[in-house]
Formats: sequence, C-alpha cells, structure tokens
Amino acid sequence: MVGQNGAGKTTFARVAAGLVRPDAGSLDIDGRPLRLGRVAGARAAGVELVHQSFALPPSFTVAEALEFGAGGGIGLYGRRQLLRRCRERLAALDLDVDPRRRIRDLPVEAQQGVEIARALVTDAKLLILDEPTAVLPPSGIEALFERIRGLRRHGVTVILILHKIREVLAVADTVSVLRGGRLVAGPIPREGADEAGIAQMIIGGAEVASADGDDTAALVGARQVGSAGARGTREEPPPAAREAVLSLASVSTAKEPEEPALDRVSLSVAPGEIVGVAGVQGNGQRTLVKTIAGLADAVDGDIRLGGSRANRASPAQRRALGLRVIPFERNSEGLSLTSALWENWSVRELMRRPLLSLVDPAALRRQCDKSLKAWGVHYAHAAQNAGALSGGNAQKVILAREIDADARLIIAAQPARGLDIGATAFVWSALREAAGRGCGVLLISSDLDELFDISDRLVVMLSGGIAGTFAPPYDLAAVGRAMTGASA
Amino acid sequence: MTEFHEFMVAILRSGTPLVYVTMAGVIAQRAGVWHLGLEGVMIIGACATILGIVLTGSFPAAIAIACVLCVAASVLLWFVIEKLGANPIIAGLGLTGLGIGGTALAVQALFGSLAAVTAPFGVPRLGEAFGSYGALSIFVLMMPFVVWGMWVLLRRTRFGLRLAAAGEHPLAARSVGTDPGRTRLIALASGGVLCAIGGAELAAGGLTIFAQNMTAGRGFMSFAAVIFGAGHPIAAAFAAMFFSLVGVAGIRLQLLFGASIPHDVLLSLPYLATILGVWISGRMRGGAKAATEASELRDY
Amino acid sequence: MNLGFGAIPRALAFIVLALALCGVIFELAGYSALLMFEAILEGAFLRAGGWAQSLRWGLPLFITATGVAISFRCGFFNIGAQGQFYIGAICAAFVTHLLAGAPAALVLPVTFLAGMAGGALWALWPGYLRLRSGTDEVITTLMGNFIAALVLVYVTSGPLKDPSGTGQQAASPLLPAVYRISDSQGISPAIIGIAAAVALAMWVLVNRTPFGMLASLAGRNPTMVRFQGARLWTLGLSSFVISGALAGLAGTVELLGPTGRIASGFLPGHGFTAVLIALVANLSVFATAVVSLFFGGLASAAIYLPILAGLPAAAIDIFNAAVALFITAKSGLLDRLLRMAKLPT
Repeated sequence: MVGQNGAGKTTFARVAAGLVRPDAGSLDIDGRPLRLGRVAGARAAGVELVHQSFALPPSFTVAEALEFGAGGGIGLYGRRQLLRRCRERLAALDLDVDPRRRIRDLPVEAQQGVEIARALVTDAKLLILDEPTAVLPPSGIEALFERIRGLRRHGVTVILILHKIREVLAVADTVSVLRGGRLVAGPIPREGADEAGIAQMIIGGAEVASADGDDTAALVGARQVGSAGARGTREEPPPAAREAVLSLASVSTAKEPEEPALDRVSLSVAPGEIVGVAGVQGNGQRTLVKTIAGLADAVDGDIRLGGSRANRASPAQRRALGLRVIPFERNSEGLSLTSALWENWSVRELMRRPLLSLVDPAALRRQCDKSLKAWGVHYAHAAQNAGALSGGNAQKVILAREIDADARLIIAAQPARGLDIGATAFVWSALREAAGRGCGVLLISSDLDELFDISDRLVVMLSGGIAGTFAPPYDLAAVGRAMTGASA
Repeated sequence: MTEFHEFMVAILRSGTPLVYVTMAGVIAQRAGVWHLGLEGVMIIGACATILGIVLTGSFPAAIAIACVLCVAASVLLWFVIEKLGANPIIAGLGLTGLGIGGTALAVQALFGSLAAVTAPFGVPRLGEAFGSYGALSIFVLMMPFVVWGMWVLLRRTRFGLRLAAAGEHPLAARSVGTDPGRTRLIALASGGVLCAIGGAELAAGGLTIFAQNMTAGRGFMSFAAVIFGAGHPIAAAFAAMFFSLVGVAGIRLQLLFGASIPHDVLLSLPYLATILGVWISGRMRGGAKAATEASELRDY
Repeated sequence: MNLGFGAIPRALAFIVLALALCGVIFELAGYSALLMFEAILEGAFLRAGGWAQSLRWGLPLFITATGVAISFRCGFFNIGAQGQFYIGAICAAFVTHLLAGAPAALVLPVTFLAGMAGGALWALWPGYLRLRSGTDEVITTLMGNFIAALVLVYVTSGPLKDPSGTGQQAASPLLPAVYRISDSQGISPAIIGIAAAVALAMWVLVNRTPFGMLASLAGRNPTMVRFQGARLWTLGLSSFVISGALAGLAGTVELLGPTGRIASGFLPGHGFTAVLIALVANLSVFATAVVSLFFGGLASAAIYLPILAGLPAAAIDIFNAAVALFITAKSGLLDRLLRMAKLPT
C-alpha cells in the first residue's frame, strides 16, 4: 500500500486493526465479516498492526512487552518461565535481543523487531506494518524485507504501508495506491507495475510548484536521487572561504535522557550551505540539536556561532546571534497547540524585549497576520489555536517565525516529517531560499532521499559521533554502511 | 525490650492505614491516574466504618458500607477524569474536599454536633496469641500480604502489564485490545476498597473514634509515598512506613525532651519527611528534566 | 484580548453539575437540598448587607486568587496559597508586635512588606525545589499548608499568644485601631484600593508584558518556550514568588483589616477557595474579580448558615469541593450537551 502522507494509509491500517471504527462499510477477514472498531475482534481473527512509531511501553522489558498482549485473564507468570517463553519467541523470529532489556534502551531496529514479535505472539494471519522502513538504515530495510519474505513463506499475509515506490517494488506482490483517503488503483501485480505511472497516481494533480524531476523522484522515492548533488539550484558553489556560521570542534556532551551523548562531533556550516545530517534516529541527532540550541551543555570542545565562541551562551544569546531552530516535534517543541497563532508567532519578538517592558498585543497580532499571509499560511484568524491547523500549515507558522531577516543559521530537524507532497516541496524550497540568501542550514533527517536531494554536503551520525562525511554524488551503499557502522 | 515492642506497635498502628491507602495510590498510578483524591476516599472509609459500627452494631456490615461508599467515590473521580476530561489533580483535590466536608455533614446530621464520634468496638484484634502485638487489628497482619499481593498483581501477571500499559502508553494498551479507560476504572475502584480498609484501620484500628478532618494529610502522604516508591508496591509501602516512623519518633522525642521542643514542630515532622521523600525522588528522576515534563494543564 | 468570558457557559454548566451532586449529598445526609440551597443563597446574597459581606470575604480571596492564577498560568500547581496566606499573616503579625507603639505610617508599610515577603518565602522553597530538582510542587505546597497551620498554632499559643485570650482557639492579641485598615466589617477604601491596585498590576503583568505572555505560553508548553530561548527558571520562580507574595498580602489584609489578629486555624478554606476562583475564572484577572465576589458571598454564607439557619457550615465546603471536582472538565460529553442545548435556536 503506497501513498503520500495524509493519503489515509494509517487510518486504513487502524480501521483494519479495529482501533478506528469506520462510519460506514464492512470488513471481511477470510470471508467472515469482522465487528468493526473492536481490537479484540480483529486480533481474534488474526489481524495485528505494527505502528509507525511503535506502541510498546518504554519502561517494559522485552519479555514483558511480548507478554502483555498475549491472551486475556489475570495471567499469572513466573519470571523464569516468562524469560524462557520470550527467548523461544525471539529465536523463532531470529531476533537477537536480551529479553531483560528495557524497550527504551533498545535501538529502533530492535524495537521494531520486538514489536513484530509482539504482533506474532497470537499467531497472526494478517500482519500490517505501518511505515516500517521510515526509521531503518538501508541495510535494516533489506533485513526487514528478508524477514517479511520469511513470514510469507510461513503463510502470513503482510500488508506493508510505505511511501516509497522503490521499496514497494522490491518486496510486494501487489501494489495499491491511496490518495486523499481513496483507493486510486490496485491491487496491481508487481510485474505489471510501472514506476512513473505509480508516481503519478501518488502525486495526483497536486501542483508541486518548485519541484523539478529530481525533487519529484525524491518525494515519491522512485529512484535514487542526488547523483547530481546540489545541482543548479544555486549558480555559484557555497563560498567556503567565508567564515562558517556554525562550527563544532570535537564537541562532547553528557548523556541526555533516552539519547546518546555527543562524542567528539566536529562539523561546520558555511553561509549559504545546506549540510545534511543522516543517521538512524536515536543516534544523537536530538542531542546535537539541543547542544547547538543551548539546551544541553557541551562538556568538551568548541561551539562557534558566526565566529564567536558560544559554549557558555544562553539559548537566548544564541538566538540573538542568528540561530533559528525548526525542532523535531512540531506539536510539542515547535508550537503550543492550545495557544493562539499570534502568541506562537510572537515568542520571537517577546524574547527580544525586557521581561517587564510594555508590549502592545494588537500590534503583535497585526505583524503576525502580515507574516503568516506572506508565508501563505491558511488560517481563519490570528487568535485561533495553533492546534486547529493541518501539519503543513503548522509547519509554515514555524517557518514564518524561524526564517526571518536576522536568521544566520537554521537548524531544520525533520522539517518535512508527516507532511504531504505539496507541503514537503514548500519546506524544501523555503530552506533553499534561505540558503540562497546566505543562511547556513543544518538539515537533520532520516529520509535519505530528502537529504540526497537538497544537501550540499552530508554527514552521518552514529552513536553520538560523526561516522562519515559525504559530498555529491552520494553513494547510497556507502552512506548506508556509515549509518550502521559496517566497515567498508 | 517492651520499649521496643511499644515502639513497633505504634509504628505499625500509624503506618498500616498509610500503607493500605498507598497501595490504592500505587495501582492508580500504574494505570495512569495521579490519585490526589486518596485523602477524601480515606476519610470516607474512616467515617463510614465508625458510623457503620454505631448504626448497625456489626463490624462486617460497617466495613461493607465503607467499601461501597469508597468505591462509589472512586468511581465518581474516575468518571470526572476519564469521561469529563477533568484535570486529575484538581478533581482529586475536589474529591478530598467532598470527603472531608461530606463526613462532617454526615456526623452533624446524625448526631447534631461536630464532636468526635466513638464506636463501642472496632476492627477485630489479633488477640493474646500475638503477645505484645495482640492489641493490633487484623488489618495489620493482613497488610504485608496485601502489599505482596499487589506486587504479584502488578509485576507478575499479564493483567498488571496491561494495567501498566494503559497508564504508560494507552495506544499500546489499545492495540492489544485493552480499554485504558476501563482498566483505570478497575484500578480506581479496587483502590477504593483499599482506601476503605485504610480508613477503617485509621479510625477503628486502635482507638475507635471518628473526628472531623482526622486524616490530616495522610492521603497526601500516601500519594507522596507512591512518588517516593516510584510506583513500586513494596518500595512505596516502605516509604509509607518511613513517614509514619518519623511521626512516631517525633512523639517519642517529645516524651524524651519534654517541652524543650515545641509540640507543633514535632507534629510537622511527618510532613517534612514527606517533602524530603518527594525531593529525593525528584532528584533521582533526573532533576531539571522533570521540571520541564508535561504537567496536567499543559497542552500535550 | 481573551478575558475568559468565553468560558462562562462552560463554568456555569459545571456549577450546575456541582449543585446537582451537592443536592444528592445533602439529601443523603438527611437535609432538604432545596432548603439548603435557599439558605445558602439567602446567606450569600439576599439577606440585608449580603453584598457587603461578599466584598468583605471576596476581596482578600481575589488578592490570593490572582496570585494562584499566575502560578497556574505558568503551569505550576501552587496549591499552597493557604500556607502562604498564613505565613504572610504570621510575619506581618510579628512586625506589628515588634513595632508596637511606633507610628502607623511606619508600621503599615513594613507590615505589608513583611507579609508579602513571608508569603513569597513560603512559595519560594517549593518553587526552588520544583525547578531545581523536579520535586512535585503539588505535594510540597500541600505539605507546606499543613506545616504553616502548625506554625500558626505554635505562634498563636506561644510567642504571640493573647494573654487575655480564653476559649478554645489560640489567637494573637487584637491589633490597636491605629494599625487597622478597616473595622471588623472589612470594607474600607484602603482594602478596596489595595484590591484595585493588585487587579491593575496583575492585568498589566499578565496581558501587557513579555513576562506574562511568555509565562502563559510556558504554562501551556514549556518545551516550546525553552526552544525559543526563554528561561523557565526565571519565569517559573517569579510566578511562584508573585503568587506567594499575593497570598501573603491577603493574609496581611486580613490581619490589619477585618480579622484584626491571627488565630489558629482562621479562614481554613481561604487558599483552596482561591484556587477554585482562579480555575473558575479560567485564570483571567477580570473574571477572577467577578468570581471572587461570588465565592466571597458563599464564604459569608458559611457563617450565616449555622448561626441563623441552623444548618451546617460544611455545606459550603461541600459545594466548593464539588465545583473543584468538575471545574477543569472539558471533554466532549459537555460539549455535546451544550451543542444539544443550542440545536433548537
């Protein structure tokens, strides 16, 4: 099943798994109608869903995570018996994980493995995997597909929800395309599937204004892009001679909760340059953003912003130096969903003034209106809550706040996550424009197609350190090896 | 030696009600409810037990009444939090107010004054066989088993795992067919029974008396014990016992030093111990991080 | 500017729910709910001088409630207004005791400062523990209430004991009239002026300064404002201190105004009622003023009920608690009810 973000893929999966009750229609498993909106019913019929961002309580051990979904009743168990049972299940799936480890301490690949094992505890006949490849490095994707082929041999039907054509064609027997909540085509047998046609069906009529052929390919994951590198978006190459807007020299930090510490990270961003940061999530990217933003302390090394040493600078001082952050979590780090749009937008202005000075909210609201209109945000009025906006519009509000005339360095963390194709293309062009005006951009993403398409340079993070630096044309295999730490 | 036994009896007597209520807090916390209504449910249990004994003359009937009322109060709290989406902290404080006010009202309605109500007898005692400890109630003897049982339920059963999943990751719980809301109902309702026992022990375990506002923050201390014990039944039980140990030690100190330490300072020792407890657990959780954690009125 | 009036139908709906629950409880306890409500209404607003009494009880409540509102706005559950109120009053009482005999022009300003400082101090330590080591502020402020009540017992039966005092309640001596800012009726230009100044200052602070606006945003999403460079430490600790200082100010007003002394366990429901007022008013300064008068009326009814109607004062506590139980409710159930009510129009 393919489709862009917002096409209804996750809703489809949740309806099938009984988590969402559809308004109309029926659902048959093995020819028998299923009671709608009942997880227990769906599971009894053999339907299991593996969520995109995993649904395992982080404090559980692997053994507990496998056990909690098994069967009803009180279910008394002994510790040794539980571990034995868990080891058997993991072995059957060829998973090498210590059942006593906690979920939150596991790397994402292992978490995904455990969640699949959890789903198979009840002998699932139909396994739905929602965007399982989004978090994996290239080698992990290959391993996952191998595991899926193994499941198929054991008679398990698998519905893979993906948004990259390349991956679908690599593993699926048939392809169906969703767009705007409708089934556009399918099931198409793989043999008869043609890449360009599917790409067209995924995009539909949506105009992707600034996107050229490579952008389009990157948006639907058709073929590997980036062989041309930064291509002709900017005429001149980034002037490396000018002083870097950001340079980290051998920066290390203390361990952050649930994220590895930075380990002697060195990187620099020149004005007008887009530097991509690749890596499997959970390898220190969040720590990197926090360290640059001043929310985590560097215990060692040098952080320089625009040439001046900023190790001791407060977050506010760093922002005054031109640092802007588009954070990972739009809805928790980027916006206050229960606050008005103008309040969200005004924070930048408020931070520039003394805490006890008088401000005029009406003027702020007018400025906000102007800025949001200029960025093409669709909204009713500036007093409406940010939570009422769609993902793409919410991201535009953040862009409107973070990309201002004084911005020198923009940290963009997963700026296009969850956005549909049009909004993604908008974000990309905004970042390119900012770079074109001389801003440095540090783009952190787990989507290699995105990184290959718009980065001038690429670094790969692994376990809190830099595992490699790449220049276009990018070599997928080499980047993939760096992401997993496999030696070349 | 008798000195020591007396000390132990005092600690067990003041600690047991706290432990029962703490267990109610633990099961609620595991299911994802920060239960600040413990104080209110506990005082309902205390009042209902004494009034029940006075009115029916039977202890089993009294404890049954207490259980029914406490479960009803807990279910009310569940309804307000789960179905009306109220803030658990404020709603819990509201329930506490209802408990304290409601019991005062009930006493006044029945006896026409706010004076303490004395029952002719209380919770059955352990009896001669237990020597110096014979004057303690059967609930004291039951207490370790209840704590152990709570540990087994929460840490060694699939039900306990699903309960914890409902609290920690509702989507995970829903994905395996568990309704987090119903799980919380079960947790709060069973917590109601525990609070009833805790209240009964407080009012009728030693003296058999109910006075206005007699819980005096014990429910909140139990809540703090849950935090101090990081939601683990045995750790939380020890935390509760620690708080009451401090209280008993304070009274002993008074006997030793007489008037040189103001009585009211010693009375505040359990409260200070409670603050110390939550402070330590705050530090253990990583300090500054917790300062930015989502709080209940926040929007995510 | 959102004055919080949009939330009024919601608040009213929950007050109706609370009334229904109270009715059930009154009936269960063997009182006639209707009679009870009638007596409360009469005691609060309808009897002669009822509105004056609402003001007398409502103004100190308003001062404390605006303080509670600012800490809630910043996302911190400072439930300790009662303790801060007590400690403020105690500090103020000590000052009047030490400076006894000095001219009022000297004593009064120092007393107010001492009262506010005392209240601020009693909010400072929970705030510090919260922001420095993540200590749950609900528990610390609640425990602070119990400790402050014990300190009050100690002070009124020890250092500040009224030697001529008889009866059960320990209390400090009644202040001489020169230090009083009102008689025992509790309404004077001075008190109204203080409340008005607090209202104005807090309105400006909350709605017209970066501090207030950032604090409100921090309360809804601290991570977001941290990413924007704001210091939660400054915002949060200031909110705690301001809320404590205002509770202390209310304590001082009670001491110098209507009560005229401190007594062990006086005004026991003050802090909790202030929390309620702040929540019912949806943390808005103007709405807080209106709601304070309502709850001030209820507070005066608590005195009226046992004396004039022979009904238990606990009825008011029960009503307040029932409001607390429901007031933060927000979910679809109510929205659906409201929408159903609107459908015919």
